[in-house]
Amino acid sequence: MSLDTAPPAEVPAGLPSGSPERKPSPSAVTKELIAKAGATRRRKAAQWKMRIGAVCTLIVIVPILLAQLLPLPDANHQDLSARRLAPLMDGHLFGTDQLGRDLLSRVLHGGQVSLTIGVLAVVVSGAIGIILGAAAGYFGGWVDTLVSRILEAQMSLPLLMMLLLVVALFGPSIPVITFVIAIAQWPEVARLTRSMVLVEREKPYVSAARILGLHRIQILIEHIIPNVIKQATLVVLLLLAQAVLLESALSFLGAGPQRPFATWGRIISDGQDYITTSWWMVTLPGLVIVLMVVGVNLLGDGLRDRPRRKKKGA
Amino acid sequence: MTNYILKRLGQGLLTVFLTVSTVFILIRLAPGDPAVSYAGPLATTEQLAKVREQFGLDRPVLEQYWIFLQQLFTGNLGTSYSFQAPAMQVVAERMPYTLTLATASILLTAVVAIPLGVWMSRRPDTNRELGVNVLTIAGQSMPDFWTGIMLLTGFAVLIPLFPASGFATWGGLVLPTVTIAILQIALISRMVRREMTANFAAPFLTVARSRGVRNSVLTWRYAMGNSAIPVFTALGTRFAAMLNGVVVVEVVFAWPGVGSLIVRALETRDYPLIQATVLLTALLAVGVQLVIDLAYPLLDPRVRLGKAATA
Repeated sequence: MSLDTAPPAEVPAGLPSGSPERKPSPSAVTKELIAKAGATRRRKAAQWKMRIGAVCTLIVIVPILLAQLLPLPDANHQDLSARRLAPLMDGHLFGTDQLGRDLLSRVLHGGQVSLTIGVLAVVVSGAIGIILGAAAGYFGGWVDTLVSRILEAQMSLPLLMMLLLVVALFGPSIPVITFVIAIAQWPEVARLTRSMVLVEREKPYVSAARILGLHRIQILIEHIIPNVIKQATLVVLLLLAQAVLLESALSFLGAGPQRPFATWGRIISDGQDYITTSWWMVTLPGLVIVLMVVGVNLLGDGLRDRPRRKKKGA
Repeated sequence: MTNYILKRLGQGLLTVFLTVSTVFILIRLAPGDPAVSYAGPLATTEQLAKVREQFGLDRPVLEQYWIFLQQLFTGNLGTSYSFQAPAMQVVAERMPYTLTLATASILLTAVVAIPLGVWMSRRPDTNRELGVNVLTIAGQSMPDFWTGIMLLTGFAVLIPLFPASGFATWGGLVLPTVTIAILQIALISRMVRREMTANFAAPFLTVARSRGVRNSVLTWRYAMGNSAIPVFTALGTRFAAMLNGVVVVEVVFAWPGVGSLIVRALETRDYPLIQATVLLTALLAVGVQLVIDLAYPLLDPRVRLGKAATA
């Protein structure tokens, strides 16, 4: 209610506050005001983002994981009599492509490849980034100089061009593409880890551990990294979204995993030639990518905005 | 000041040199023979050998590198295999197209993203802000090739407002620019919002507000003034990255820039052309980075170049 309903002085503090009209609470802050407060709305928005994000992600990921179990036609089964069927025709939910293959099945099986590459790339880049970033932040000196210089050099390199170069030259196999995406992504993790370790290094518990005679590497691995890993993994979630996008861009340019793997970028680039007559061949796979990447990004954003819960003890 | 510029130029040129050398080594490490893609699959062994000799590919790699270094300092990187013209000239002819596209995109981004970010930062935690926030997340989640094809179908095929590909008229610039700008606007506006929110919470702003400074002055002079460097840096870095070729968008819209050129050069293993593209784009990117750094004292009088240069 309004702010002028200040509590009368005779009401003893500490009474359970009922409805503000009948039993004035000792505070002018009402539940309604709390509900309208920025902090509350921020928490609600974060929760909302996380929920929607989780739903979007699951809508895409669960069918992809279950692709083999779902009653779908084989992704590579061609049926030239059923070419370019519109969605929902003849039991093809997403329609068929120019060779009569079921588009939904192709998108789901392609998603398995895209997701595998994305997850592997993020794990590799996360590991490299955390290790090198932590080492640079903790040891300083020449280690820091070396890592920072590499980071700078990579930032000034034409990224997608270099990725294309490596893939074009070393062949578009899944390990090469995974490696290339990981190399493209590790600087972000490394920079973040380095800055967090720089802060942690100065905290008293590190000095305590040093006085207790622990080895420097032991301090870094057992005490500092556990304190920064949670925040570092949050970034990793956002990197997964980027990795999926990067992989689909490479596939689109013809530098993705080769046939028989139908990755998302390749499905879209195949359908591009039929865009005027068969809109679904490009639109639907693209929407699947967007839905998943939006989901992952929302989830990561919500997790980051979420107010930190107070730690017990520690 | 002069010392600083010289030092930065030196570092920049070293980066370019290392980049070009890395590319030189990479393309020679990799499997694949330019002679085969030049002479065709039906060429005889003698023909292939002749092509290799003509391109100088039969010599030891170290000798090739020495020749390459000599070429580097004379600015003549040899003849493109597929264009049969000096490689530098082929790239230089494509460069204006990429420059045009990159400039148009970064201008559109700045004009939309900065006001949008400020708008978001001035009404935090409202439903409208949340809506725009989710829209920016969607903007950075769309694969650019897909956005490009969608815009192409929508505004060039179904509603023929703009030409579908190439750069014959200025109308051809619209769709590629918008495609690039959607992603950049999403990224930059979120960044502006973050910077501005931090400044709005800073003590100097509370003091200014308590002195009765008008809201518009608070926003644009006080908060934006202090966000200028990071925002400018972000825009500049994005611009520099675009000069390396907005590969995907150029391919979708058949834009005659360096991005689509490098894809073709990689496919045909056109070594001189690959090297010329990398050299020229890396030089430009380093140049833009230097200009960004030199602009810092204009944006913030506290910055003294040279001292804070390593920060």
